[in-house]
Amino acid sequence: MSSTDTSMAAPESDQALGAQPPAEIARRFDEVLLSVDEISLSFGGVKALTGISFDIRKGEIRAIIGPNGAGKTSMLNVINGFYHPQEGTITYQGEVRKQMRPHRAAKQGIARTFQNVALFKGMSTLDNIMTGRLLKMKRNLFWQALYWGPNLKEEIEHREVCERIIDFLEIQSIRKTPVGRLPYGLQKRVELARALAMEPTLLLLDEPMAGMNVEEKEDMSRFVLDVNEEFGTTIALIEHDMGVVMDISDRVVVLDYGRKLADGTPDEVRGNQAVIDAYLGVSH
Amino acid sequence: MSPRALTAWILGAPGVILIIGFLFQAIAAANSSFFFTWGYYAEVLIAGLLQGVMYSLVALGFVLIFKASGVFNFAQGSLVLFAALTMVGLMEMGLHWVLALVATTAVLVLVALAVERVVLRPLVNQPQIILFMATIGIFYFLDGFGQTLWGSDVKVLDIGIPRDPIFILPGLVEGGILINQFDLYAAATGGILVAVLAVFFQKTRIGRALRAVADDHQAALSVGIPLKVIWAVVWSVAGFVALIAGIMWGGKLGVQFTLALIALKALPVLILGGFTSIPGAIVGGLIIGAGEQVAEVFLGGFVGGAIQDWFAYMLAMLFLLFRPQGLFGEKIIERV
Amino acid sequence: MFYREAGQFKTSYGADQAIFPILQDKLALAGIMAVALFVAPMIASTYWLETILVPFLVFSMAAIGLNILTGYCGQVSLGTGGFMACGAFFAYKLTTAFPDLHIVLVFLLSGLGTAMVGILFGIPSLRIKGFYLAVATLAAQFFLIWMFNKFGWWTNYSASGVISAPPRSVAGDLFITGPLASPIVKYLFLVVFVAVLALIAKNLVRSRIGRSWMAIRDMDIAAEIIGIRPMIAKLSAFAISSFYIGIAGALWAFVYTGSVEALAFEINRSFQVLFMIIIGGLGSILGSFLGAAFIVLLPILLNNLPSLIGVQMSVDLIGHLEFMIFGALIIFFLIVEPHGLARLWQIGKEKLRLWPFPY
Repeated sequence: MSSTDTSMAAPESDQALGAQPPAEIARRFDEVLLSVDEISLSFGGVKALTGISFDIRKGEIRAIIGPNGAGKTSMLNVINGFYHPQEGTITYQGEVRKQMRPHRAAKQGIARTFQNVALFKGMSTLDNIMTGRLLKMKRNLFWQALYWGPNLKEEIEHREVCERIIDFLEIQSIRKTPVGRLPYGLQKRVELARALAMEPTLLLLDEPMAGMNVEEKEDMSRFVLDVNEEFGTTIALIEHDMGVVMDISDRVVVLDYGRKLADGTPDEVRGNQAVIDAYLGVSH
Repeated sequence: MSPRALTAWILGAPGVILIIGFLFQAIAAANSSFFFTWGYYAEVLIAGLLQGVMYSLVALGFVLIFKASGVFNFAQGSLVLFAALTMVGLMEMGLHWVLALVATTAVLVLVALAVERVVLRPLVNQPQIILFMATIGIFYFLDGFGQTLWGSDVKVLDIGIPRDPIFILPGLVEGGILINQFDLYAAATGGILVAVLAVFFQKTRIGRALRAVADDHQAALSVGIPLKVIWAVVWSVAGFVALIAGIMWGGKLGVQFTLALIALKALPVLILGGFTSIPGAIVGGLIIGAGEQVAEVFLGGFVGGAIQDWFAYMLAMLFLLFRPQGLFGEKIIERV
Repeated sequence: MFYREAGQFKTSYGADQAIFPILQDKLALAGIMAVALFVAPMIASTYWLETILVPFLVFSMAAIGLNILTGYCGQVSLGTGGFMACGAFFAYKLTTAFPDLHIVLVFLLSGLGTAMVGILFGIPSLRIKGFYLAVATLAAQFFLIWMFNKFGWWTNYSASGVISAPPRSVAGDLFITGPLASPIVKYLFLVVFVAVLALIAKNLVRSRIGRSWMAIRDMDIAAEIIGIRPMIAKLSAFAISSFYIGIAGALWAFVYTGSVEALAFEINRSFQVLFMIIIGGLGSILGSFLGAAFIVLLPILLNNLPSLIGVQMSVDLIGHLEFMIFGALIIFFLIVEPHGLARLWQIGKEKLRLWPFPY
């Protein structure tokens, strides 16, 4: 595989940061990070996904769109190992993946946020973000029981990482607030922070802007773009707001009734007749 | 239940019973100190099944409340004890048992109203586990309350059910099969109760409301189902079921504190049958009752006896390891 | 007025992560430890030491154990009594088989043994959740008590099924078990032992492992997706919880009562400890102590209250009333403050911070 890494992509992405990037100056990505081939998934008799194939390339922002019930969330669940497709293969970082549990996916650098916020309600914002660092912490039970010394040093190192993320997402003031008390928009932001704390290679965002007002959406879009640019994180996101999707994503895949309808740049997808039919409805 | 599942049960259950029987026969052939005849096996099995119906009676109360309010009511056992104590107390005061039954039912309705008002209403929409622990509080309170009111001596509860053992099928096996008549009556009562409840749940308007409440408190409220009334009704019904169970258990063992603990045996029945299934409670009860009786009589001797104390729990736990959703539960699909 | 954090700036993350970030709290803790170690032994009567302080400390240990499992990791267990019995009988077998083994080591080893049993009975938690699990832990409760009751080997074939703690000392003639042990030595030993283990528990729950427990408790699916292995998290909670509960059981049999039979650890003991953590506060080490204090003191209060106000009551009646009051209190606490005494304490501190101003 060629090693077109993120440092190449980063300068180009400046254009994506503008309020309205000209769509024709699209960024180019060559290295495939993850590809799904002919994925089919069903529950009992219900087919959630049928023969879906697409890829996600290193460094890009990839959007998955489609009407409700199209199988978008199921697709993310398949990618991070929560659902096991009956057919098809997933290739991640050049290796065909076997059936596995989600924590293995986490170890391989796949992080995600959820459609319905899935924070740890009994813990503070800081502790929630610190859970994202769990995989990176190495001290054994003995040191943890002792706490002082090497364990404290490690705690502080990771605390510093988390504090950087807190600064980045501008949530300093709610550091010690139990997340259950936060408004929805902030909870979504904390969830993003937790995912970022994992320093993921691939970040899956499930409707990161659902239920937000315009201002909050703008903030969130900015964060998504910044993450992509500053950390070079590859991002796959599900979003219903077409304006946002068309603005920030490099490529879009469209699902409907568990099938792939279209795949391409925002412009290609926008012009696709099948997509227009699916969204606007068409009389047969 | 689908017809296919039903056939599987009708063929499978006797099959398992026969296989275990042959297994014991084989052991008996190899080991002369192991006593086994088919007649004796049948006798133990039937005694166990009848005992199982009694477990089902208690389990039924749990299922009712769980179905209607999503509350895992740990206090059902103490409700059984409390009902039996009240019944005996009233009969000792000279009331005819029919009158005592009516009066006790009235008392249990009052208890239900109090539980709804004092415990459930303030805890609407709390996590289930909080409600569960609250019912442990009710468990303690009712235990103490019943005994404060009626004392803690062992009392005899007799409403005239014949208790002489009878022999059936004398021609088929030597000496016939010994059955306790009391258990037969108890089983019949249980059967009738289940049938009535099933109709109540499936066919009446209030039954449908109950099922809606079980799914989601707030959603049910929002479509205009009166939560308070529903809860009061369902706890009253559960109280009545507890009373029937209390009369049966109390008649069999005497009314005493241990009744509340015997009711704990209904818990493995529940996890076997699934918390929301009335047929599950029945079948689970039969399996636990027969299983523990057979295990105690034929296998208990090898390990020093009294394995009844834990056999039901172990059986249920091992079962859950392989089928976490219980006998009749739907396979759980987790969503995020 | 005197309880303020104003002016106490933290200049490092390390200082911010201390258990008691505020100076006044540190002083208060030092004060409590000083009273517990020096003042209490001097002024407390034997009655106070033996019927209140010693059981309080033993129960605190058990409550910390259960709180780790239920309060921090969210797995409800009704098998506490069974695990306490494990600790007691393991310790008895160990110390009678190896009389030279230091008693503290015996306690720790029996805790380890109980941890193994805990892991065994924790396996169902990988497949089942919530109430189903609670019922499954009853299997542990009934099976373990039956086992210790049924097989004479555990009691070295004592006819009564009762085990009596042989005399053992921590050093020299400082006996903490057996007839020679003085209440003060027992008490001081427990204060130190429990304080150290409580500190370790506190350290664990604010480290990596503690966060993974809380993540599993709050949302197990999300926890798995950020890379926590549910099996490791749950079984480690079972193991460490059982370790503490096992030690508590050994302390109960050896230091508190001195002799014990399996039935002392039946299901009511499980409920008792569960009540402690509900009343004290789920997910709080401090709450474990508060809850234990409450449950130990309440019956003593109830026993003495009638005679104090001049009413005669039979022992039976008091027992029943105790049940009722326990039940009512549990319900009361769940309704008013599901987070227990520990939360009330915290709220009190917040108020104090502002006092004498209302806002």
